[in-house]
Amino acid sequence: MAPVTLNNVAKRFGAFEVVHGANIDIKDGEFVVFVGPSGCGKSTLLRMIAGLEDISGGEIAIGGKVVNDVEPADRGIAMVFQSYALYPHMSVEQNLSFGLRMTGNPKADTDRRVKRAAEILRISELMDRRPKKLSGGQRQRVAIGRAIVREPQVFLFDEPLSNLDAELRVQMRVEISRLHKELGTTMVYVTHDQTEAMTLADRIVVLRAGHIEQIGPPLELYENPDNLFVAGFVGSPKMNFIKGRIVGRDARGVLVELAGQEKTRITQPLTGTAPEVGSKVIVGVRPEHFGDAGEGDADLVVGIDVIEHLGGTSFLYARTVHGEDVVIQRDAAKVPETPEITASIRKSYLFDDKGLRLR
Amino acid sequence: MRNRNATAYRFLAPYLLIFSVFWVWPIISSFMISFQATRTVPWRFAPGFNWGRLIGDPAFFNALKNTLLILVIQVPVMIALAMVMAVLLNSPLLKARGLYRFAFFAPVVVGEVAYSAVFRLMFSLDFGIVNKLLNSIGLPKIDWFSNVTPAMALIMIAVTWRWAGYNAIILLAGMQSIPEDVYEAATLDRVSKLKQFFYITVPLLKPVIVFCTVLSIIGTMQLFTEPFLITERGGPGGGTETLGLLLYRQGFRSLNFGYASAVAYTMAALAIAITLVQLWLTREKQ
Repeated sequence: MAPVTLNNVAKRFGAFEVVHGANIDIKDGEFVVFVGPSGCGKSTLLRMIAGLEDISGGEIAIGGKVVNDVEPADRGIAMVFQSYALYPHMSVEQNLSFGLRMTGNPKADTDRRVKRAAEILRISELMDRRPKKLSGGQRQRVAIGRAIVREPQVFLFDEPLSNLDAELRVQMRVEISRLHKELGTTMVYVTHDQTEAMTLADRIVVLRAGHIEQIGPPLELYENPDNLFVAGFVGSPKMNFIKGRIVGRDARGVLVELAGQEKTRITQPLTGTAPEVGSKVIVGVRPEHFGDAGEGDADLVVGIDVIEHLGGTSFLYARTVHGEDVVIQRDAAKVPETPEITASIRKSYLFDDKGLRLR
Repeated sequence: MRNRNATAYRFLAPYLLIFSVFWVWPIISSFMISFQATRTVPWRFAPGFNWGRLIGDPAFFNALKNTLLILVIQVPVMIALAMVMAVLLNSPLLKARGLYRFAFFAPVVVGEVAYSAVFRLMFSLDFGIVNKLLNSIGLPKIDWFSNVTPAMALIMIAVTWRWAGYNAIILLAGMQSIPEDVYEAATLDRVSKLKQFFYITVPLLKPVIVFCTVLSIIGTMQLFTEPFLITERGGPGGGTETLGLLLYRQGFRSLNFGYASAVAYTMAALAIAITLVQLWLTREKQ
C-alpha cells in the first residue's frame, strides 16, 4: 500500500498539451477514479503513473518516492488493461506466473501467490485453459489476477470493464469493489462511465481536455458541482440546463427569470458576490428535483415528448416553451396522462455564463 | 439457383479451360510420362525405367544432397536473419523506416539475370569486391567458382540476399499484429526485452514463421536460377547442381522427359513430406 502524489504533472505531444499540470493527492489505500469523456487525458495520466508514458513536466511520487525516472517494473504498481493484454499462447496459470517466473522468483512463492490470486478471483478451475477458451468476464479476472500476484503497492485499472456486456459489467464492478475491501491496496481506476465512477470511488477526479475540473467524493460531486461540466457529467440522466437572466438581487441572493417563461422566477440564495442584474445565467435542475406543480420554488410548463418507464420510476423527456430539453423523474404511479404538465423546481444550481457555479 | 450457378461457371470457363490445359494436364501428363522410356522414339511404357534409374543414379543423389544441404543450412539462417531484420524494422528507434522496408524488399523485384551478373562480378577471383575486401583485412582470396564449398556458400549467400528481406516483411506484418499492450504488461512484469522476444514474440509469430519456412522449403526444393546463372549450370563439376537443375538438364538438354518427370515428382513429394514434418513438429499442442 502506498499513497500516490501527482505534482503539476504535464504531458505534451510536440506542441500539443494533453495534460495540463495535474495535481492529485491519492491517499494510502484509497480508491480513486479518473473519469471524463474520450480524449480528456485520463488514460494518459494513468499511463504516466505506470511509467508507460514519459512525463513532460512535474513530478509523480509513489509511496513518498519520486518515480519520474524509475522503470515501470520498479514502481511497485500493477496494471489491468482495457484489452486484458493476456498472453494468448499461455494457460491461465502461465499467464499469472509468467512475470514471477521470468524474474527468478522462488517457485514455492510463485505457486503460493498464483494459488491465492486464483482463490480470490475464483478462477482455480480455469488454470489450464488458454485465454481464447475463456469468456470476457473470466479473461478480466485473469488480468486482475496477474496484477494481484505482483502484490503491488498500487493497482492501476485502465477502463477494465468497457469490453464487457452490461450485466457482466455490474457483476465485475462489485467484484472490484470487494477486491479493494479485501486487499486494502491503493487503486487508481480510469473510466468514461460516470456510473462506474460513482459506484466504485472513494474520490472521483473529473477531467476535461487535460484539465482537472473537480476532485471529491462521489456524492459531493453530485450534490455540489463546481461547474457546468461536472454538473452535467456526474449523474444519469444528466442535470437539466435552462437559460435564465438575473432580474433582481439583495443581500441574501438573486432572483432568476427563466428564458421564455416570464412568470417563472427562482430565488437563489448566494453567499458569494452576486452577478449584476441583467446577467445571463444557467439554471441547473436534476431530474429528481422536479416536483408537482406548487411544490417548489417555481413552476415550469413543459410539453412531454417521450416517457421512459423503468419500473419504480419513470423519466419524462420534455421540452420547455422556449424549446429547451428537460428530463423529469417521477414515481411510476405519478406519470401524467396529459401532453403538457406544470413541473415545479424544488432545488436548483446556478452557473454564470462561463459555466462556473455561483454559490 | 441452378441457372445462377451455370452463369457463374460460364464466366469461369475461360480460366478453367486455360487452367486445365496448362496446369492440370501437364501435371497428369508428366506423371504418366515418368512411367515411360523416353530416350528413344517411340516412347514406350516401362514403369521401372525412370524410377529404377532414380534409385541408383549418382547424379540424382548428388543433386539431392546439394539441395538438402542448401535447405538445411540456408533456410534456417535466412529465417533467423529475416527475424532480426523484422525486429530492427519494427523498432520505434529506427528513422526512415519506409525506406529500409523498401530496401529490404527490393532484391525480390530485381531481375534474376541482372542480380546474378552482379553477384558473378562481386565474387570474381581477381576483380570482385568481395575478394578485395578479404584481402584488405589480410585474408586470402577465395576462388568462389572453382571450388565446391565456396561455390555452395556463394549460392546460399545469393539466395539469402534475395529472399531474407521478403521474409522479413512477412514477419514484420506478423509482429505488428501483436498488440502493444501485451508487451507493456510484460514490461510491468519486469520481463526483459530479450525474454519478451523469446517468450512472447517468437511463440506468437509461430504461424508466420512456419508459413515463411514452408515457402522457403518449397522455393529451395525448386532452386534453379542461382546455380544455373551464378555457378554456371551447377558448377564446378556438378558441385552446385540442384534437383531443379538436374530436371532441366535431363528434360531440356538431353530431352529425356520421362526421367525429368520422375525427378519433378520426387521434388514435389520431398517438398510435401518435409513441409508435413515441419507442420507436425510445430503444431499447436492442446
